[in-house]
Amino acid sequence: MQTVVDIKGLSHFYGSFQALRELSFSVPKECFFIVIGPNGSGKTTLLKTLAGIAAPASGAVSILGRPIGGYTRKGLAKRLAFVPQLPSEDFPFRVRDIVLMGRSPHLGVLGLDRETDRGIARQAMEFTGVESFAARRLDQLSGGERQRVFIARAICQEPEILLLDEPTAALDLAHQVRIMDLMERLKKDRGVTVIMVSHDVNLAAMYADRLLLMGEGAMVSIGSPAKVLTYEVLEKTYGCPLLVDESPLGGVPRVTLVPRRYMDSDRVPLPPDRLDDSD
Amino acid sequence: MNADSPPLVLRIAVVSAALSVLLILSALLALVFGSTDTVIEALFALFRGAEKADPMAQTILWQIRFPRVLMAVLVGAALSLGGLVFQALLRNPLAEPYILGVSGGSAVGAIFGILLGFSRFPGVSLTAFAGSMATLALVLVLSSGQSILKKDSLLLAGVMVNAFCSAVITFLISLTQDARLHNIIYWLMGDLGQAGMQQVGLLAAMLVPCFVLFFALSHPMNLLLMGKETAQTMGVNIRVVTLVLLVATSFMVSATVANCGLLGFVGLVMPHLLRLLVGPDHRVLVPACALGGGAFMVLCDLLARVLPRQGEMPVGVITAMIGAPLFIYLLKRSGSDANRR
Amino acid sequence: MRILPVIVFFFSIAMPITSPLAGTQAFVDQLGREVMVPEHPERIVALAPSITEIVFALNAEDRLAGVTRFSDYPEAAHRIPKVGSYVHLDLEKIVSLAPDLCIAVKDGNPIGVIRRLEAVGIPVYAVDPRDIDSVIDTIVELGRIVDARPRAEALAADLRRRVDQVRSKAGKAPRKPKVFFQIGIAPIVSVGTETFIHELIELAGGKNLAAGSTPYPRFSREQVLAMAPEIFIITSMARGQTFKRVKSEWEQWPSMPAAKNGRILLVDSNLFDRSSPRLVDGLEELARIIHPEIFGEAP
Repeated sequence: MQTVVDIKGLSHFYGSFQALRELSFSVPKECFFIVIGPNGSGKTTLLKTLAGIAAPASGAVSILGRPIGGYTRKGLAKRLAFVPQLPSEDFPFRVRDIVLMGRSPHLGVLGLDRETDRGIARQAMEFTGVESFAARRLDQLSGGERQRVFIARAICQEPEILLLDEPTAALDLAHQVRIMDLMERLKKDRGVTVIMVSHDVNLAAMYADRLLLMGEGAMVSIGSPAKVLTYEVLEKTYGCPLLVDESPLGGVPRVTLVPRRYMDSDRVPLPPDRLDDSD
Repeated sequence: MNADSPPLVLRIAVVSAALSVLLILSALLALVFGSTDTVIEALFALFRGAEKADPMAQTILWQIRFPRVLMAVLVGAALSLGGLVFQALLRNPLAEPYILGVSGGSAVGAIFGILLGFSRFPGVSLTAFAGSMATLALVLVLSSGQSILKKDSLLLAGVMVNAFCSAVITFLISLTQDARLHNIIYWLMGDLGQAGMQQVGLLAAMLVPCFVLFFALSHPMNLLLMGKETAQTMGVNIRVVTLVLLVATSFMVSATVANCGLLGFVGLVMPHLLRLLVGPDHRVLVPACALGGGAFMVLCDLLARVLPRQGEMPVGVITAMIGAPLFIYLLKRSGSDANRR
Repeated sequence: MRILPVIVFFFSIAMPITSPLAGTQAFVDQLGREVMVPEHPERIVALAPSITEIVFALNAEDRLAGVTRFSDYPEAAHRIPKVGSYVHLDLEKIVSLAPDLCIAVKDGNPIGVIRRLEAVGIPVYAVDPRDIDSVIDTIVELGRIVDARPRAEALAADLRRRVDQVRSKAGKAPRKPKVFFQIGIAPIVSVGTETFIHELIELAGGKNLAAGSTPYPRFSREQVLAMAPEIFIITSMARGQTFKRVKSEWEQWPSMPAAKNGRILLVDSNLFDRSSPRLVDGLEELARIIHPEIFGEAP
């Protein structure tokens, strides 16, 4: 199987703090690849390195078979699009202009768009369901709608790889599902490889083809959700007691937080070897 | 989808045409009116059938007013564009062309030139230009500890350098007691009437390439507003674009200030006013600021020359007296816009 | 339609007002520049109040076409068209008066404006008198320039006589009283060696306490008191009420000889900072103040 992203021995430092430790993995084509882990585990740093925003201290990053350094900015932008975590609210342009900006890597000096570009932008807006507020400005939209506008913009870049930084972080339930479904459709209908950083373990479990669990800058585990999401590994990485069982939907792992009161009582039967609460 | 918004090229063309007409009309007014009535009288004489224009009126028109009007156009355009680019670069609506230390450095340089007894051109304008280039270098060095891309570090360095220069200026002024004090004060107030055609030509040669450069970079300026990281992922080479815009704008503003002193408000108000009129797209805003800023300056200078009974007012007073209320009105207008969801 | 003349007007090429004519002669001004001056200038523009005073003193005021804003002496100067202030000249106004000669002062007139006037063909003659003798020489020189030679020489002779009289009489005084001449109120500013006023004080038989290389030195009140001035002169930058206030402030220090003896006086500043004939009036007034026993009491 083809890989779109290859990482070997990737390390990154912020000053003296090591944010990434010798990461090595690959992302296959048309994979829904989700990176999870606690805060400060280096997920966002990893994503920014893949996007070409952060430069690695050591190690190799290959995109579509070529080292990332071998691409021009525009060249990379035609293959790889990035959706930031919190799209700015005060960006003064209207939705249709923002989405059209996604065509920039394919346009000339003044960014003059042609009919084909406008068509692509139209399609992207329909795909993400934002065409009805094409004429509105960003501060007139909700968080979820804004997120979808920026995804539409990213789609306009016609990338082979889409990178998203915690896209569902500030969204309500309906929008969370909607965004994740959108990603799935992108993958299936357009063959886009989606690489996402998420804080929501269950959402990741439900949608990911491959999961990467990170802890303190290092790779803890990589593979299918069933392989990665075991309670031993998760508890160690996240540092809190967790209950892992199977979701009634599709049999994927389901992670439940354990409030303190359940540790001391016998209301919920726990396996005997889990009864020590040394925290 | 875009049926309700005309294509970009059309918008640029219409806006440019409209503002060009405004500019030409303003220039004509400014050529005809002034502190003496000779030009107007000569015009009327022509209408009444005189054979040729009075040579003195011609002299006033072409040797005095024409360079002055051209200077006003160049200065208004340069300051407005300076404000526009810095507002985009620093993503700060309060940014104006002097914010990165240009005003402080050029004033200190100019004062040294005046104290050393140089004439306005080329002496004082050279020292002023040297001063502002020195402060630009200083600001870059001060903010290079952090990444040049961090907009706040640039801003802070600029504010501090300007503050330091203010202290130096106050000190130098306090030392001066003779006629040079007047020269210093007039330089600080800003003055469009000092230059002849030679200086105007030189300034145009320095400024017009900058205008063209900004137009060429107007699309990246749009993308810059999205945040530097996102802009990078859309193909913009942030380091190069930031540096080029920074240096070109500082160069343009320095050259302008070296010729005409510190004229305020134009660079702050015009970008906001034009944004309100033509929208936030820099591809339309760059020509709009050049033409609209030029027209505004020409009109303000005209008022400065004809309003007072004796002599002329400093044009910086007019730009402030018109610019400040205009700015407040714009603030209120955009505030109510935001409330009207 | 009359539009064509308008277009012609706007596209016509500018011509200088005057071309080198017969009836001009070349002079070298006090800055070493060669200037072509008409033999009998009819439309003179004075680019400083001191020049205005000199032209009036030469009885050539009927040929004066323009003066600067603060030309207030003599009274008749108020009626002459104004061309801005001497540090901020109105180029357009000057040109519109169609002068055939402008007279400039080096100290104050912006050289850029002078150059632009010459670029449109208006001759500009610049003077730069530094002391009272060169002021009188300048009067003679300008008399030649504006074709008022007899009057200039008579005036100069009279001025020189008066100066010599003061000089010789004051020279006979047994001692030179210590004089403090205040030109600035806050901060306290006096005059150094490189000024007219210093020369006048010394000529009038006084000792300028602020003599030194700094042209306009500043003092704190303590420093002034420590110098113990016997005569205290304040110029009328501060008129009327302000003068009374400043005088009473100094009178609070009876240790200062000038205060103890009631020798704190006000003078008209225009007599002391304009390089015009009235400088000699100023000299005579100073003499009366410093040596009343020789020159008679000051009024």
